Amino acid sequence: MRIIAEGAEAQVFKAVLLGDTVIVKTRKAKGYRIKAIDDDIRASRTRIEARVMERAHSSGIMVPRLIAVDSFSIYMGLVDGKLMKDARIRKDSYGRLGRILGIMHNADIVHGDFTPANIMVAKDGLYVIDFGLSGISKSHEEKALDVLLMKRSLGESQYRWFIDGYTHSGRESKAIMGRLAEIELRGRYQVRTLG
Amino acid sequence: MLVMGIESSAHTFGVGIVRNGRILANEKSMYRIGTTGMIPAKVAQFHSENASEVMGRALSAAKIGFEDLDGIGYTMGPGMGHCLQVGALSAKTVARMLRIPIAPVNHAVGHIEIVRHLSGMKDPLALYVSGGNSQILKRSDGHFPHYRVLGETFDIGVGNMLDTFARKMKLDPAWGSSVEKKAMGGRYMKMPYTVKGMDFSFTGLLTHSMKQIGHAKDSDICFSLQETAFSMLCEATERALLLTNSKELEVCGGVAQNSRLREMLASIAKEHGARFGSVEKQYDADNGAMIAVVAERMLKKGMDESIGNCGISQRYRADSARLAGA
Repeated sequence: MRIIAEGAEAQVFKAVLLGDTVIVKTRKAKGYRIKAIDDDIRASRTRIEARVMERAHSSGIMVPRLIAVDSFSIYMGLVDGKLMKDARIRKDSYGRLGRILGIMHNADIVHGDFTPANIMVAKDGLYVIDFGLSGISKSHEEKALDVLLMKRSLGESQYRWFIDGYTHSGRESKAIMGRLAEIELRGRYQVRTLG
Repeated sequence: MLVMGIESSAHTFGVGIVRNGRILANEKSMYRIGTTGMIPAKVAQFHSENASEVMGRALSAAKIGFEDLDGIGYTMGPGMGHCLQVGALSAKTVARMLRIPIAPVNHAVGHIEIVRHLSGMKDPLALYVSGGNSQILKRSDGHFPHYRVLGETFDIGVGNMLDTFARKMKLDPAWGSSVEKKAMGGRYMKMPYTVKGMDFSFTGLLTHSMKQIGHAKDSDICFSLQETAFSMLCEATERALLLTNSKELEVCGGVAQNSRLREMLASIAKEHGARFGSVEKQYDADNGAMIAVVAERMLKKGMDESIGNCGISQRYRADSARLAGA
């Protein structure tokens, strides 16, 4: 058993299960919050994460292969690649990433933490990982927040390529982009100076 | 340099006096919030009635006279327009009378900087929690030195949520601190928990807990509300701490007075080998000293403003305020 990633929320390690190398993601207990909240959050996020991964897979999005789930852990197949935030990537990958988000949103999947730290660049394409904050929702607001998070993480031109891809595949991308503009204009995002 | 700072963005009219970073006075008078919350015009009237008295108190606490001042600062925003105007007007009057330089200060920057200053931190990750705001910030020197907002509330500030709830439950005083007291010995019941990356939202939690009033024990609701809200803030803060790899964590703003929140954050800091900084409660609540501290730094860097340009900005975001440096 070897720890390969230690996030704020979970530990990810390699293990051998029935002779195969697998990735295990376990949500760590958080000492700062009371056990009732902690257990509840960890169990429900594990459950939802597995469910959304399955849905993403059946919508044609590349995600790690789901092997097994228990209370606080998900067992999945190994993805051979690098995190997008650490990888050198070509311009068209941003467009492809946008198309991926469009397809996910068409299936009403909201990722909840859609940043380059949660995309893996592999030989066979881009994998979306860490569905830890994801959910199933038709809400334009939540979908717009996926776009907003990526917008905050990308440079200006990278973001433009990303949006090209997104509006290409996303059926409701126009309405969602409208909502995004609205979110950014909301009270606390706006500066107004009085004399 | 001897500098006076005036704070009047919400319920508190505060006057602080500093000399070379040392706080000589921190006086305030606070509007008593009844069952109606804050009506801006009424709070502003309260400030107008108390302004000169609080300034006088601060001067005598610092054992100086008006004529000794080398500069003055006031809260430009964010805050309630009516209230901000009183502080701005007082500061401008003093500046004109004494012909001393004046600096408009961002309220959020004041909160962050006073804790950083008093706890001797260099470059902390800051959780700023108050009535109107809840943000996670870290200094960035991008286009200009400023506090970058890493995460924030999508709707209302956590303090606003606690206060609104306290009024609805008819707690006395109708403040977040009453919720803290009432939460003692409560038991947990499930509440909505909303975190998106490093952002969070509180209105769902507020609506849910208000609906529970009368259907569950008061202490259970208060306990669950507080635990849930703080767990959300802590989760987002922990994520930001790891993302920025910060070795210092501070909590500031009115809600930073809550001892349960401090305890939770201290535990996160400890787990990740970071230093945790918090200060005496009088410097967490709105106060004039924090404005004086920032104003003095600004004035030393020549960042004063002509009186004619000294306005207010109700929605003056922390990330649009230029920092004066260490």
